[in-house]
Amino acid sequence: MSAEETRKLGFTRRGLMTASAAGSVAAGTGLVSGFFSGGVTKAQAAGNPKVNLQPGELDPYYGFWSSGQTGELRILGFPSMRELMRVPVFNRCSATGWGQTNESLKVLTEGLTEETKKFLAARGRQTYDNGDLHHPHMSFTDGTYDGRYIFANDKANTRVARIRCDVMKCDKIIEIPNAHDIHGMRPQKYPRTGYVFANGEHEAPLVNDGMILDDPSQYVNIFSAIDGDEMKVAWQVMVSGNLDNTDCDYQGKYAFSTSYNSEMGMTLADMTANELDHVVVFNIKEIEKGVAAGDVQVLNGVPVIDGRKGKNKNYTRYIPIPNSPHGCNTAPDKRHVVINGKLSPTVSVIDVTKVDALFESDADPRSCIVAEPELGLGPLHTAFDGKGNAFTTLFLDSQVVKWNMDKAIRAFAGEKVDPIISKVDVHYQPGHNSTSMGETAEADGEWLISMNKFSKDRFINVGPLKPENEQLIDISSDEMKVVHDGPTFAEPHDSIIVRADIVKPVNVWDRADPIFADAVKQAKADGVDLEADDIVVRDGNKVRVYMTSVAPQFGLETFTVKQGDEVTVYVTNLDDVDDVTHGFCLSNYGIAMEVAPQATASVTFTADRPGVHWFYCQWFCHALHMEMRGRMFVEPTAA
Amino acid sequence: MVTAARLIGILFLGALPGMSALAADIPVEPGADSLARAVAQAAPGDRLLLGDGDYPGSVSLTRRIEIVGSGRSRIVGPGAGSVITIDAPGVVVAGLRISGSGSDHETIDSGVKLTKKATGAVVRENLFEGNLYGIDIHGARNARVEGNRIIGRQDRLVNRRGNGIYVWNAPGTAVIGNHVTFGRDGIFVNSSRRNIFRGNRFEKLRFAIHYMYANDSEVSENVSVGNHLGYAIMFSSRVRITGNLSVGDRDHGIMLNYANSSLLEDNVVRDGGEKCLFMYNANKNAMRRNRFEGCLVGIHFTAGSERNEIAGNAFVRNRTQVKYVGTRNHDWSGNYWSNHGAYDVNGDGIADQPFRPNDRMDLVLWTQPSARMLLGSPAVQLIRWAQKEFPALLPGGVIDSAPLMQSAAGAAGSVTGEGTSQ
Repeated sequence: MSAEETRKLGFTRRGLMTASAAGSVAAGTGLVSGFFSGGVTKAQAAGNPKVNLQPGELDPYYGFWSSGQTGELRILGFPSMRELMRVPVFNRCSATGWGQTNESLKVLTEGLTEETKKFLAARGRQTYDNGDLHHPHMSFTDGTYDGRYIFANDKANTRVARIRCDVMKCDKIIEIPNAHDIHGMRPQKYPRTGYVFANGEHEAPLVNDGMILDDPSQYVNIFSAIDGDEMKVAWQVMVSGNLDNTDCDYQGKYAFSTSYNSEMGMTLADMTANELDHVVVFNIKEIEKGVAAGDVQVLNGVPVIDGRKGKNKNYTRYIPIPNSPHGCNTAPDKRHVVINGKLSPTVSVIDVTKVDALFESDADPRSCIVAEPELGLGPLHTAFDGKGNAFTTLFLDSQVVKWNMDKAIRAFAGEKVDPIISKVDVHYQPGHNSTSMGETAEADGEWLISMNKFSKDRFINVGPLKPENEQLIDISSDEMKVVHDGPTFAEPHDSIIVRADIVKPVNVWDRADPIFADAVKQAKADGVDLEADDIVVRDGNKVRVYMTSVAPQFGLETFTVKQGDEVTVYVTNLDDVDDVTHGFCLSNYGIAMEVAPQATASVTFTADRPGVHWFYCQWFCHALHMEMRGRMFVEPTAA
Repeated sequence: MVTAARLIGILFLGALPGMSALAADIPVEPGADSLARAVAQAAPGDRLLLGDGDYPGSVSLTRRIEIVGSGRSRIVGPGAGSVITIDAPGVVVAGLRISGSGSDHETIDSGVKLTKKATGAVVRENLFEGNLYGIDIHGARNARVEGNRIIGRQDRLVNRRGNGIYVWNAPGTAVIGNHVTFGRDGIFVNSSRRNIFRGNRFEKLRFAIHYMYANDSEVSENVSVGNHLGYAIMFSSRVRITGNLSVGDRDHGIMLNYANSSLLEDNVVRDGGEKCLFMYNANKNAMRRNRFEGCLVGIHFTAGSERNEIAGNAFVRNRTQVKYVGTRNHDWSGNYWSNHGAYDVNGDGIADQPFRPNDRMDLVLWTQPSARMLLGSPAVQLIRWAQKEFPALLPGGVIDSAPLMQSAAGAAGSVTGEGTSQ
């Protein structure tokens, strides 16, 4: 679909809908439509084409959803909220073999520090199998999404991952040295990504070798700029206070990070002692100059610059903000950044054109604040419609408030004008929110998703552990309408909503894809043609089993190894038809992997169990899918 | 001069440990630096008696002394920092007029600041005018802030003003009988516990009481008039909220947000702009004999709030008596509902018909206000009739199976908007 087609489809749908919704009492109220089912309003409710796409209809947007402590990325059709795919990233995935295949283990291990590799090896592991993926954000070119990559953080084990949007697989994961627990993360918007900015949330000694323990005066926090092309940390900045969320401007000049612990407190009480915390402004060009000039210490191979308070340098500025600010959101007008007050019922609006003076003439840091509207209790995150309005989640009021930025600025200047346009209840207690294209210069003001932290009694009961509830809100008029409840498993924090024409995934793998280049190289060394040969190569006690798969048959229906051999199975899927994915599941060996069309996947294990062991295709492929199986003979050592 | 008067009035204060047995009453004349000099020379236990007039300059109290003004003794700060900083246990500051704090939120510039060392400090019957914050109780345990009149700033936007009384991490501290107008919040409490907030009066503020994470405390007999919000009690357990009054507060009279295992008794909320009571994910509370009158919404009850006892309350003339959002069933037996048109044939004080404060139609009406146009239409009548006849159709809702014919709650007039405090 072209952009024009997507847009046209969206608008056409809206036009159609407006007529039928006007007479509907119940459309959009999930609670009510149950009662009315069979009644007069059913036709309108079910026929709401904006939300409830008919079978076979395509969504005009991709939703990229995080999954928090599940550690994966999810892809939703939007606004239908149909979950389309789960992309394993920091987690171990049974279905795809992520975390077990050689290809995924390469991604999961090559970016770990040597120290972490040793730490894991001592526990008999190659990588972590958990992660906490909060913030998925797409790469930008010239202020809008470019469809290349999704980047995502891991708060649990201090990593940043990159997902390739052509194949929708993770191709790079790096551990961020020196930092602790990456939370806020956003790609550079302009001129392109470029950098990926990442906040270390938790405070610790810069060299965390145990020599300093309970002495917070020696703790620091680390802001990292990652080169998104190379997936290497370009530089880091030491800051005062901790770091929470981050965003950057549309000029390529500044990044902004909120801090809820300017106190550097280590207890809840101490963390809440200050009336004002702050947002740190990072001056990218000045930091680059400082790094080039060598005003750094190099730690774990990364240049670390000192941007703490009171250093009289031009790397950072600290803007006081009430009170434990959380979300950090740059508006599509390319000029304003909204800092969400959390424990203050206000948000603070930074005008990026007034930030230069903070660095050039040491202007009062607060002089770049041009509005501070009181929106309601617990403002956490703000999204935008591209028409000058903003939508802020109010955690405590459990509402989304729509407000006008220009009016907020005028009110701050003294004019008697109310920036609040309307509020809508959400169920229950919203955290992040996202609008369609809302974090780009192409925000289109069609949809808002409110990602609510609790569902409580909103669905039939599934036991003590409840789903989250993500509510879809129509923002095409001033009166926001909740039109859909979307339960989700643990625990999407954040999402982005991307116009469908921007994302262009392939249907089959390119045989030259670097993801399985190691397998191709090994086959070449063994004189094997991956796309034609089905052959077992023995190399001492190492055995490499090469086989193709074409539905409904593996290229090898038996192979034989010796007990104790280190076996690597390479499966190359020669099918090139849409959706004919195969699998290789070796039963009672705990081995399973996905092999998508034209891909090669490999897995290595030790043949410890003698006997007959069946392998089968566990991704449905064919009418004779059940028959797609074979035997591995393991000759016992004693024989 | 000050030093000459050391021996006037000897007090015996043996009950206080670590204190000199001899303590003096020392008069301090008005004048530049006179107070600072007197403070510097005072011994622990001394009482500085201030006369009528101006005492320019800020002071920091690092010993256990008392400063007692005449009621017309004016401490005038230099417009920077806090005017009086109490940085020692057992200090008393009373009878002063305090003005001239700085305007910095980062340092919480206040009329009187109590640091972590100010255990048991007493701040009593002072008049605070135009300070950024009135009194900042920053970590002082068992302090007592009583009978002060605090008039906050009006020269800046509400959110850029400071709070009347700011309480952070001050277990055991009591804030009693103060009167706060202007400024931002009347009392802002964060990360504290075992506090008493009693008999205070709040006007022309953002929130009367803004309460985050302060367990085991009491909020009682306070009066909030014409603020954005009366009592926002959030993320706290075991709070006794009794006998408070909210009149004409703009958003909510009382808001309980994850306030759990608390007591809400004998409160009156009247003529609020939006909601008399907002109960949001508030659980295991006892709510008795409260009166909610004349708001757009009497009670907004949602986010799975559960295990609450709600009885003996009066819901009077609220446009929507109950806004319930949830799918569970709740029986709030024994409340008074002004719009319940039922008889009491046997005269036992209990209406003969149960009261369903919100039915499916109400739900439709608040989610789709335009549906009001349909009221009275056969379809609506049919729904109401069907619900009455087949209550099992309800997927959740509130019922009062024994509604009261008359209200006792809040009728005694024990709490009114008039005549409380100064």
